[in-house]
Amino acid sequence: MRKYVVLGIESTAHTFGVGIATSEGEILANVLKIYKPKRGGIHPREASQSHAETAPSAVMEAFEQSGLSAHEVDAVAFSQGPGMGPCLRVGATVARTLALTLRKPLIAVNHGVAHIEVGKLATGCSDPVVLYVAGGNTLITSLVEKRYRILGETLDIAAGNCLDSFGITVGIGPMPGPERLAAQGANLHELPYKVKGMDVSFSGLLTAAENLVASAVPVPDVCLSLTETVYSMLTEVVERAVAMTAKNEVLLVGGLARSNRLRQMLQTMCDDRGCTLHMVPDEYAGDNGAMIAWTGCLQYSCGMFIDVGESHVKPRMRIDEVEACWSS
Amino acid sequence: MLEQLDFVEEKLIRVGAEAEVKTVLWKGMKLVMKNRTPKRYRNDFIDTRVRRNRTIHEAKVLTYLSENGVPVPLLFFIDLQQSIIFMQFIRGMELRNASNPTEHSEQLGKVVGVMHSLNVAHGDLTLSNIIVNDAKGLWLVDFGLSVFNAELEDKAVDLHLLERSAQSTFPSTASVFFKGFLRGYEDVLGVQTVERTLAKMKSIRMRGRYVVKP
Repeated sequence: MRKYVVLGIESTAHTFGVGIATSEGEILANVLKIYKPKRGGIHPREASQSHAETAPSAVMEAFEQSGLSAHEVDAVAFSQGPGMGPCLRVGATVARTLALTLRKPLIAVNHGVAHIEVGKLATGCSDPVVLYVAGGNTLITSLVEKRYRILGETLDIAAGNCLDSFGITVGIGPMPGPERLAAQGANLHELPYKVKGMDVSFSGLLTAAENLVASAVPVPDVCLSLTETVYSMLTEVVERAVAMTAKNEVLLVGGLARSNRLRQMLQTMCDDRGCTLHMVPDEYAGDNGAMIAWTGCLQYSCGMFIDVGESHVKPRMRIDEVEACWSS
Repeated sequence: MLEQLDFVEEKLIRVGAEAEVKTVLWKGMKLVMKNRTPKRYRNDFIDTRVRRNRTIHEAKVLTYLSENGVPVPLLFFIDLQQSIIFMQFIRGMELRNASNPTEHSEQLGKVVGVMHSLNVAHGDLTLSNIIVNDAKGLWLVDFGLSVFNAELEDKAVDLHLLERSAQSTFPSTASVFFKGFLRGYEDVLGVQTVERTLAKMKSIRMRGRYVVKP
């Protein structure tokens, strides 16, 4: 099959990303424009306005980086969901415009699938149990019969959201703030450890951690207790998934994949169970356009396009809605 | 205290994600020892508490069910220092391996019905966690994922896992098996509860997520 090129646009949350990838797995461009709120968490409308302002220059930069002209692109992919509605709509609008102007097919990509596929591409693993942990998502998944089946997930807030919210509330900022401060912690305090089968729950944990701070426990100690508890829960559910599926590879993807302590725990677990841990490299851990472009290439290979008229965004899209037609 | 009791370890019968299960001899009696082994990845402080809390939880569920007439292994001892439960060894085989699983289905429905009427859900109700013998005896084992104060959702997940497990083990007779199960289940809980639970089970399947080991 001839080599083809896909441009991918990511805009689910604070990152507006434009990437260009080829069907041979080369990443030719990966441009990121990250909206940073002045205070507090991400405000969806403000983030979307920021995306709308930076979008044209991000697209231009991506073409410059890749050395390609717009007409050399074979398709345009965008992140359809899950994510914040206003942010998703900016990326979708840019992608539709490009596709119509260039007369190229449009591809709707699931954000979570993209995180996983770029992780597979970068690490070369084939059939892993995946832990996808980020600010907005926490799930344990694996490919079974051409779909990423959700083996376990958070029942309330995402692991990253729990750590970010805690950091912002106590004034040390989002991750990696809490993990950095945890290094100075000396004493562990008991916090709710909620694992139900392969599901996890973090909202009670967040409240309990905030209560510890309110009762004058030193913030570094709370950071230590919180990060240790969150990462232990995640590692445990991954171990359960590995035991259940009898697979021997684990892949860690998503923004929280940058956490050294989480990586260390997963490594220990994998060493004890005799499986191999693969970790997405930092540059593809957080949201980025390259992962959308690469997943676009995969979907291109089996003709998974979408009509512009049906390309509405899906803020609550689930990973198992997508048939992974490219998987063998 | 427990080290003064003479246990002779026999053999390893199961290794799960969180526990090792062995048979042991105590005063000539065969017992099952379920040991929640320490996890090196977890900080000791957290690890000790997690294993201890779960051991206590499982012991409580076993005791509560035994006292209320649900056939589960009797609790003998718990070693909270090491997070070990010693319980009755059930002589029999996993329902998965029974020659004719369907002949146990109605009885299973009654047992699960009684457990659900006590608002306990098993949490991992697959054919490997049901023990049967030739005399039509039937027991539920492994309450590591069980829940007290179970809601309709938890109970529906039990039924869902059971049916999926049957379908993957004996596809051709699974529907007869499940019909038999529902007869027994309905005997205990009544037709309305069965309908509500089955409706919930459908909605859980629509979410398409609980996957059973083939």
